[in-house]
Amino acid sequence: MNASQWLVKALLDEGVDTIFGYPGGAIMPFYDALHGSPLRHILVRHEQGAAFAANGYARASGRVGVCVATSGPGATNLITGIADAMLDSVPMVCITGQVPTGLMGTDAFQEVDVFGMTMPVVKHSFLVRRAEDLPSVLHEAFRLARNGRPGPVLIDLPKDVQIADASELPAYVPAVRMPLPAAGEAGLHAAVALMAHARQPVIYAGGGIVLGEAVDAFRVFAEAAQLPVVQTLKGLGSLPDEHPLNLGMLGMHGSRAANLAVQEADLLIVVGARFDDRATGRLDGFAPHARVIHLDADPAEIGKRRSADVAVLGELSTSLFRLTPAVGAQRHARNGSARAAWTATCCERAAEQAPRYDYPGPDIHAPAMLRELSQRAPAAVVCCDVGQHQMWVAQHWAFQHPRQHLSSGALGAMGFGLPAAIGAQLEDPSAQIICVSGDGSFLMNVQELATVARYQLPIKILLLDNQALGMVRQWQTLFFERRHSEIDLSDNPDFVALASAFGIAAHSVATQAGLGDAIDAWLAHDGPALLHVAIDAAAGVWPLVPPNRSNAEMLDGDADELAPLPLPEKHPSKTTAITEEIPDAIST
Amino acid sequence: MRYQLDLTLRQAEGALNRVIGAAERRGYRPLKVDGETQSDGDRWHLRLTVEGEQDDLQLREQLAKLYDCLHVQVSTCP
Repeated sequence: MNASQWLVKALLDEGVDTIFGYPGGAIMPFYDALHGSPLRHILVRHEQGAAFAANGYARASGRVGVCVATSGPGATNLITGIADAMLDSVPMVCITGQVPTGLMGTDAFQEVDVFGMTMPVVKHSFLVRRAEDLPSVLHEAFRLARNGRPGPVLIDLPKDVQIADASELPAYVPAVRMPLPAAGEAGLHAAVALMAHARQPVIYAGGGIVLGEAVDAFRVFAEAAQLPVVQTLKGLGSLPDEHPLNLGMLGMHGSRAANLAVQEADLLIVVGARFDDRATGRLDGFAPHARVIHLDADPAEIGKRRSADVAVLGELSTSLFRLTPAVGAQRHARNGSARAAWTATCCERAAEQAPRYDYPGPDIHAPAMLRELSQRAPAAVVCCDVGQHQMWVAQHWAFQHPRQHLSSGALGAMGFGLPAAIGAQLEDPSAQIICVSGDGSFLMNVQELATVARYQLPIKILLLDNQALGMVRQWQTLFFERRHSEIDLSDNPDFVALASAFGIAAHSVATQAGLGDAIDAWLAHDGPALLHVAIDAAAGVWPLVPPNRSNAEMLDGDADELAPLPLPEKHPSKTTAITEEIPDAIST
Repeated sequence: MRYQLDLTLRQAEGALNRVIGAAERRGYRPLKVDGETQSDGDRWHLRLTVEGEQDDLQLREQLAKLYDCLHVQVSTCP
């Protein structure tokens, strides 16, 4: 047995059933070992597709996604997908071939220092110079990828190591997911005390909730607290969309109700979120009257962008479970009626300011279409690309769970959607997978239509085509005096013909009149299908908080100038002493 | 502010780059680097002086997350 054969067996022992990759010179021994093995390999058409597919597989399931590429260009092509996993905390193990150890450092054919190049965008990386290190490296790679705050781990594997004798290597010991330590008592007690004082608290839900497998615990906590909830892009679905406490997404393209509630809040209960700049807008104007309780698994997120009055570090589900009885009891204690009135006000505003979908005229209104589609396919997993359509999905799709929403949040990588959909579909062949893309994003990884066709993945691709880089165009209109620089894509290919060339059913629709039937036929199609939808290039994403502005300064499509949101005249003092403690209310 | 970092690192490929790179990317400029292999041969002891505008807690937490960083102590330089 050589090291490649050992590795393939070890991956199977680890529980890996599917890997995504593309062969090449320096990874050929591994591919030789793969031949005839039960480990399923999905041949993509570009290594970036492999990284995004593994990424989508991991996001949809919470399991570790695995991708493989050769050295040099194969390895560099993975990097965008690895960076995306790092920024969005996605568990991945990425295996790259490397030139033989004797050639390393000589600028050999297809030699690049991928170990060095990826250092800032991996949770950790290993360069395996001896086959005997492989068992411990693989174990550590999977352990690191999935434990604590998840992330990508790179294993760079020189070709001579791949063919080294492994007959004496020990059997692989799979890595297990270890729970994080529970939060300390002091933090929990301080959090309860701070909550008891608040009259206008808001729960700020982030992507850490699903990463920490804490969705159920979060819902129980929010129900017990009966406090308004705002969600980040990656927190969407933490509460079901229609839940009465859900005010929607906060931030640059957040709802007015969510942003207004945060701006008026006297306490933010931040659960698995990191005060991302797209969520906070101008930081010194964000939630200016609020104290902060920050629940997170990663100590480095505490105080990184906004200082916390109370930090609750540890396994989120445990922390939420411990706090739930206390917040429930507080509804009937001091300030309980004030909090109830505040919650009612926030929820009434959300209802009053809910988006309208009665768009007049014959053209297709993307938000209305997406809202209707989400109601027709409530259990679908939506894999987004990046741009206006991504924000419309976030604003208007009625997500029921965060794992329904796969979106390149922090990196904002165009080209993510289609390969991520491939990964999600392979992870759950019975799932309804919808890829929502734009004409700019779609062409960045269009070659993966060949992968969709090869494996006959029944992915439904919704391509919103405004013949422009719409988000850039919108910003140029608003902030660059309408100088539309290099955003014109009016020479796009015929997308229906393009999809057909890959053997994928495709249809185009340009008016509201034909949209309903087209969606019905597209969703009902047995196999992959693309629906090309022509939309207006001038359509914008609203509301919008301009860059370097506070979330109080939301811009609406109907306004020519910035229209600051009204704020209450009286604000709670930031210096109120916290003296009350309710230690007995903490659940044990 | 100037900070003195005392680090114990796993003597692994890339560990030094990882620590210094992480400090730089987080906004702390290295001013002085000094270190040696510890007697057991498996670890480095590294002393790093950096300058940055953010507080020392952030720097400590970011470095403590690194797999190869076994111990980090940050103190403010006088």
